[in-house]
Amino acid sequence: MTIAIEATGLTKDFEKGRRTIWQRLRGEPDRRETFRAVDEIDLRVATGEVFGILGPNGAGKTTTMRMLATLLEPTSGSATVLGHDLVAEAREIRRRLGAVLSGERSVYWKLTARENLEYFAALYHVPPAQTAERIASILEIVKLTDRADDYVEKFSTGMRQRLVLARALLPAPALLLLDEPTVGLDPQAARDLRERVLQLRDEGRTVLLTTHYMEEADQLCDRIAIVDHGRIVALDTPEGLKRALKATEVVRLEIGAPEARDESLIGRLAAGGTVAQRERQNGTLHLTVHCESARELVPLVIDAARAESAAVHNIQVQPVSLEDVFISLTGRALRE
Amino acid sequence: MSSADLAADLRAAWAATRKEWRILRRYPGSFLSFIFWPIALPLAFVFQAQAFSGGREDTMAAFTERTGTNEVAGFLFVGWATYMWLSIILWGPGTSLRTEQIRGSLEAIFMTPVSRLVILFGPAVSQLVWAIWIFVVVGVALWIGFGVAIGPLEALRALIVIVVGVPALYAVGALFATIVLRFGDASALVQAVRGLFTALCGMSFPIVVLPDWAETVARTLPPTYLIADLRSVLLNGAQLGSVIGDLGILLLMGAVLSALAVVAFRRTELYARRGGRLAQY
Repeated sequence: MTIAIEATGLTKDFEKGRRTIWQRLRGEPDRRETFRAVDEIDLRVATGEVFGILGPNGAGKTTTMRMLATLLEPTSGSATVLGHDLVAEAREIRRRLGAVLSGERSVYWKLTARENLEYFAALYHVPPAQTAERIASILEIVKLTDRADDYVEKFSTGMRQRLVLARALLPAPALLLLDEPTVGLDPQAARDLRERVLQLRDEGRTVLLTTHYMEEADQLCDRIAIVDHGRIVALDTPEGLKRALKATEVVRLEIGAPEARDESLIGRLAAGGTVAQRERQNGTLHLTVHCESARELVPLVIDAARAESAAVHNIQVQPVSLEDVFISLTGRALRE
Repeated sequence: MSSADLAADLRAAWAATRKEWRILRRYPGSFLSFIFWPIALPLAFVFQAQAFSGGREDTMAAFTERTGTNEVAGFLFVGWATYMWLSIILWGPGTSLRTEQIRGSLEAIFMTPVSRLVILFGPAVSQLVWAIWIFVVVGVALWIGFGVAIGPLEALRALIVIVVGVPALYAVGALFATIVLRFGDASALVQAVRGLFTALCGMSFPIVVLPDWAETVARTLPPTYLIADLRSVLLNGAQLGSVIGDLGILLLMGAVLSALAVVAFRRTELYARRGGRLAQY
């Protein structure tokens, strides 16, 4: 197995606030606070793998991507990408790296799709003899051939995102970094893009993607790292992560009961599963319970409610998802 | 750097020029605005000059003695045309990087293997388009309005002077670009430098009228040589040989300022990569 990305102790700190020129000239000490966005991440991504980084906003996903894309210099730690050192050999990495980082804004709206790709083909050092053919085949892949000579300003959001993906494919990259690639896309465009990612994997390319859509990570990724507060809190295959939960089903309950009864109600449910999350909203207790069998848990819920003079308003049974894995690891939902 | 990389970077620089030119063409209104100002601004100074001189022969003789030409309108039109082009070139690189930053394309460019020099100097050639446009407008205005005809040979010599002047002027613009990338804005500094050039470089007067100390400062500024040489070849019929010394100084200034710009840009890029400022705006 060859390794496409190997990171050890990768860390990124940012300074909070500003230090004015006046403060610098007067030689005042730097009193800015440091914020750690990525905290000693260790990562090994195999060649040909679709590897996902799943986490809420602000978890450090994008910062990790930007470091691996050579746009940010790590504060400490080291990494090799496609066999090259991230800092010392950044230009070598850029030759074989495609990335979709900042979405549809990063193309020129007053140029056509083909003109955009011609420009970036030159920046990627694509040999002139290959440029036209490569652009034509990439436009075919992203299904923009019939709009190749239209100005980008006339494109929909989904089409612009496809053009950004086309740009990332220009260097025939061995590694593709996709940062939240489906954010802002309509369902059809998002589905199309996910299909493209799977095609790219079939072609043998390595894909590293970040997302906060758990279904997307579940569907696309061979392995997933769940990150929170800049750290990897779990790393496994989607199935492996779910298995670690020691539950097969998730039961979401809404129970109308006085707050004083919460503890005893929860205590009665302990025999049927693990309460992963609890919350009170407008006099209703919302519980998320991980269990092996909802068939065994639900009667227990009814009995417990009757015993505590509570009313069950709603019961939802779902298979375990990555969202539940995230909740069990961090105690909060992915979108909080 | 290998010769293959160098060739690829040169192709990328050409692609950057083509990209700028294509975008420029799609905003035809900007060309129209540069028909009005290159005529209106110097025209006001021509009228002012006529009012101050009273049209007397002795004042005209004094003007000719100090400037080497009796074409008052030509003198002022060429000076202000250079000023306008200078303004574009000073703003150009900085605003170009800033625009890329705001648009979100700066990171996409920095993720490519292209040399950073291409990013910094790539759009330079497209600045020649503005120079040619402004001087064509001025040439037509001088011919129609004042009967000052500029022949093809004089125009060719002027173009060569402009090409020689581009590196020095663009390097000053590139230094502003690094300031934009570092601090997010350089407008105050650009205004100050533009003011300095206007006051000292002889846009509307010969620098010999300046106090000695100011003339000395003026001789350290690239636009001084550019304006003087353009006037020489366009209005006095000077050959390139007679301004070769000035052109050499311009090239030297271009080399020194470009080296400074490259060093400053590299440091700023490192700063931006450490602080995550490439995507910030």
